[in-house]
Amino acid sequence: MLAQATVNGILLGGLYGLATVGFSMVWGVMGVINLAHTAFITLGAYVTYVLFERYGLDPLLSMPLAMASMFVLGYGIQRLILNHVIRTSLLLSLVVTFGIELVLTDATVLIFTSDVRSVNASYASTSVAVFGTLVPVVRLLAAGLSLALGVGFFVFLRRASLGQAILATALDREMSNLMGINPQQVFALTAGAGAALAGAAGSLSSMLFPVSPTMGVSFLGAVFVITVLGGIGSVEGCIVAGFLYGLVQAWAAYWLGTSFQEIVAFAMFLGVLVVRPQGLFGRAFFGEHA
Amino acid sequence: MSLLSVEQLAVSYGDSRVLVDVGFTLQQGEIVALVGANGAGKTTLLRTLTGLVSPRSGSITFDGQPILTVPPYERARLGLAMVPEGRRLFQGLTVRQNLELGSRAAPDTSHKTEDIDFVFELFPELVRLQNRLSGLLSGGEQQMCAIGRALTARPRMLLIDEMSLGLAPVVVERIAGVIRTINRDRGISILLVEQDVGLALEIAARGYVLDTGRIIIDGPSSELLLRDDIRAAYLGLQ
Repeated sequence: MLAQATVNGILLGGLYGLATVGFSMVWGVMGVINLAHTAFITLGAYVTYVLFERYGLDPLLSMPLAMASMFVLGYGIQRLILNHVIRTSLLLSLVVTFGIELVLTDATVLIFTSDVRSVNASYASTSVAVFGTLVPVVRLLAAGLSLALGVGFFVFLRRASLGQAILATALDREMSNLMGINPQQVFALTAGAGAALAGAAGSLSSMLFPVSPTMGVSFLGAVFVITVLGGIGSVEGCIVAGFLYGLVQAWAAYWLGTSFQEIVAFAMFLGVLVVRPQGLFGRAFFGEHA
Repeated sequence: MSLLSVEQLAVSYGDSRVLVDVGFTLQQGEIVALVGANGAGKTTLLRTLTGLVSPRSGSITFDGQPILTVPPYERARLGLAMVPEGRRLFQGLTVRQNLELGSRAAPDTSHKTEDIDFVFELFPELVRLQNRLSGLLSGGEQQMCAIGRALTARPRMLLIDEMSLGLAPVVVERIAGVIRTINRDRGISILLVEQDVGLALEIAARGYVLDTGRIIIDGPSSELLLRDDIRAAYLGLQ
């Protein structure tokens, strides 16, 4: 049973990592703690739910659509609202993003009611054997796709021209401005990409968890812990810390009981803050002029 | 017509007036020095020229175009490149990535590789360092990378802030030589902002002296170097 808990923990951890990447990037690039981030997870799940329920679209096929629609939403919110708030204060951006989270969640309740829904793909009850344990195939898919998206985003930041612009803006906003990079545009694209990745996490979550207007918020604790654990703004940190978080939670539940899993996860969070405040993957020189 | 023309520029941070009434010009192809003591407002003036600081009043004209309302990233694309005080490299990125970032402001980005090779010709020591994190370089190497990053933008004008600060004299000579070369061979105009007044006037043809937010003296470098007041106040000579 320990093997079962370990495998489950690792697989869930992949999803946690993906759910966090956008939040961590937005924090790293523009210094905004985006409390509306988890609403993108919820909405991504609902996009998948609606397409599945109405048109019978497979959740894996609707994931790109969930990502695209969350990109537009994230980009728009940044362009129209947050770009104006950033220049003022951190406190104001917290208040505004919290407000946006409330609006988006309440809009979800208005449209879909607070009834709990579910997405049951044809292969939802299929399991495969992994290291002598039976693993639901949807969990494997969710973890594999999460990892692929996370790694893809990491490569995009390092290799693509736009990725370099995002990294440069995270490292030194003024200097990147002097390199011909428009910070407002980078902010909006980063917010869009972050929301799209959260939407993907929501889409994948809809195959594993019940879909409800508060499903995103249930990720908030994990998102904070993994961001700090991995190092703010570090994509590779998010991925590794996500797996670690999933594993620690699963083991805590196995040895101490499920009521302890949050406590252990947050104890780990505090431990990292004390011992290594830049996070496991906090990079040399990162954010020196931020 | 001047490449850069600044008139009656005034900048305040809150209640404190940093630049009171600054005016100067720079012709195409010129090297001009802007000197003054610490706190005279030199860096603020450069930040205003690049657009990072907005002035209270005055005008800045670059290549015949008023640029006061043009944001920094567009001024960079017009050909105004900055080598900031303290280098301000993207320390978490490699030397090559820094040079590539510089080329984003170039009018035509298809010459990227060619422009990076040109930087490597000017500073051959950067070739073997190109894949190293720029934060790990020595001060002199960082300054070379910072100048290279500005040059890959194919600028019409370079603003260089405290080029010599914290560098060994032999490195300063080396970089001063490169500044003369790019000015002569590429026709890049240069505004040199320096605390080391002797060095700046040695490289530049003309100079302006900034003191508590005003230009108080200007003239050809050769004349400025002979003035008693400048020798006493800035060169430590009697």
